[in-house]
Formats: sequence, C-alpha cells, structure tokens
Amino acid sequence: MPLAQTEDIVRAVCTDKWDGERLSPSLFVGENISVSRLAVVPLPDHWELFRQYVQKPPERRLELIAEINVGRLQNIGLSQILPVALTVEPKPLDWNPAHAEIPQKITRGLANKILPELTLHHPPASGRE
Amino acid sequence: MTTLSLAAKSSAYSLAEGLREPAAASSIRRGAPDEWAREELLLRKLGPKGWGRVYQFRNYYEPGWGEKGRVLSPRALDAFFRFLEEATFAAGRTGPSVFLTDRGGIELCWEDPNGKSVQVEFTTTGAEFYKAATDEEGAVAFERLAPLARRLSG
Repeated sequence: MPLAQTEDIVRAVCTDKWDGERLSPSLFVGENISVSRLAVVPLPDHWELFRQYVQKPPERRLELIAEINVGRLQNIGLSQILPVALTVEPKPLDWNPAHAEIPQKITRGLANKILPELTLHHPPASGRE
Repeated sequence: MTTLSLAAKSSAYSLAEGLREPAAASSIRRGAPDEWAREELLLRKLGPKGWGRVYQFRNYYEPGWGEKGRVLSPRALDAFFRFLEEATFAAGRTGPSVFLTDRGGIELCWEDPNGKSVQVEFTTTGAEFYKAATDEEGAVAFERLAPLARRLSG
C-alpha cells in the first residue's frame, strides 16, 4: 500500500550527486527511485545506515540527506502540464527496513521542480569523517 | 590539439618510435595527443575541480557502485567531450558542475547568463537536456551534440 501523504522520506546524497555547490537533478530522474522512510528509521539513524551501506569511501562519500514530504512530492507531480500521479511504495530491504521506491518515471523537468523543495540535512558535526 | 607529436617532445621517444613497426607507431601518435587534448579541454572548460571529478568517475567508480550504479560509459564520455569542445560557458560565480548518473552517464549543469539552470546528461546514445528558462527538455543523438552545445551554452 502506498505511503500516506503525511509521511516524510529521505534520499542519500553522495559525492557523485553533490559537488559542494550544486545538487545533481539526476538524483530524482528515472524510475524506481530509492528513498527511505523517516517514520520507520529516524533521521539521526539514517546517517549511520547510509554511511554503512550506501557510501563507498574514499571516493563516494555521504554528503547530505535530502528530505521531502510525500504529499508535497505528489502535489509537485500533479502540478505539471502533463500531471504525474507519484506514489511511494514500501520496499523493505535486509539492510534497510525503511526502504521505499517511487515507481513512476520522473522526467528531468519534473526532477527540477522537486529539487528546490528538498530540505537538505548536513551531517552532524561529530559524524564528519 | 592533435598536432602534438611524440617525436617533438623528446629525442628518446624519437629513437623508440624508429624501432617500431610503422602501424604501431602511428597508433601511438594518435592516442596520446588525444588524451592530452582531453585533459587540457577539461581543465580549460571545467577547471581543476571538474577535471578531478571526471578523473574520479573514470577511475574509481566500479560496477555496482551505490545502489544500482553502472560504470561511466565510454560512449557517454565521448559524447561529453564532443559537447565540451563546442561549449562556451559564461563566466559566473561558479563554473559548471559535473556528476555521475546511476545509469553510467555523465551530467553537466550550469546557469545561463540570467541565472537559469541548464543541464545535459550524456548517455550511451547521445544526450538528454533541460533548459529551465523555457522549461524545455529533449534528447539528441551523437551527431547533433555540436549544435546543441552552441545552442545551450552560447
């Protein structure tokens, strides 16, 4: 069953998608975009989870965590000239019970509408490597 | 940039070249200058930061990086360089950014003179682009990269 509009989701942002100044739009381009649910794993715990399973130092490091509300994401999709009904489906994984996916295809134009709405979280000071 | 010859660089290379079969020597003359030209092009258009990121994407991202990441496609990289040769970026606060995409493409992002985002992702088949000023997006094949570069970056 799709996630409720009230849920908040996050996506790991590593060095391949962030150069210190700009965020890559490809972070949200394509189908089956992986996200993670804050209702299942709280934000502070996501840092350790993503560090352990998503980043691959020294080159691919976790830089940011991008957050958006599901309802906000859906409103952005529906506000397009050609509306897209975005959903977020739970897809728990062994390493991440909070894992979920956005199954619909997100175009580059739509991704560019999503990016400005993201809340970007920087790593806790003590967590910097 | 293909005028740089090994013989002109060093007498030691001249001697080695003289001992090789003609076909092998000519292939070496073509390969090395192209790579030098690409390095120089990267530095000139994207600066040291862009050069360093492309180097990392080419050399350190193995198959399966990230969640479902593919290694950087040589065809996508070739398209990227073709585009860079023709592109002119307005001098701004920050230079263009370069990113690696999950499907093994390479993505270039910058702002036009009015501060609006312009993006091109180079793939195995050509390039996909987006221009925020007109909310225009589309795709072009390899042979249309030069006109696209002139249109988006001019």
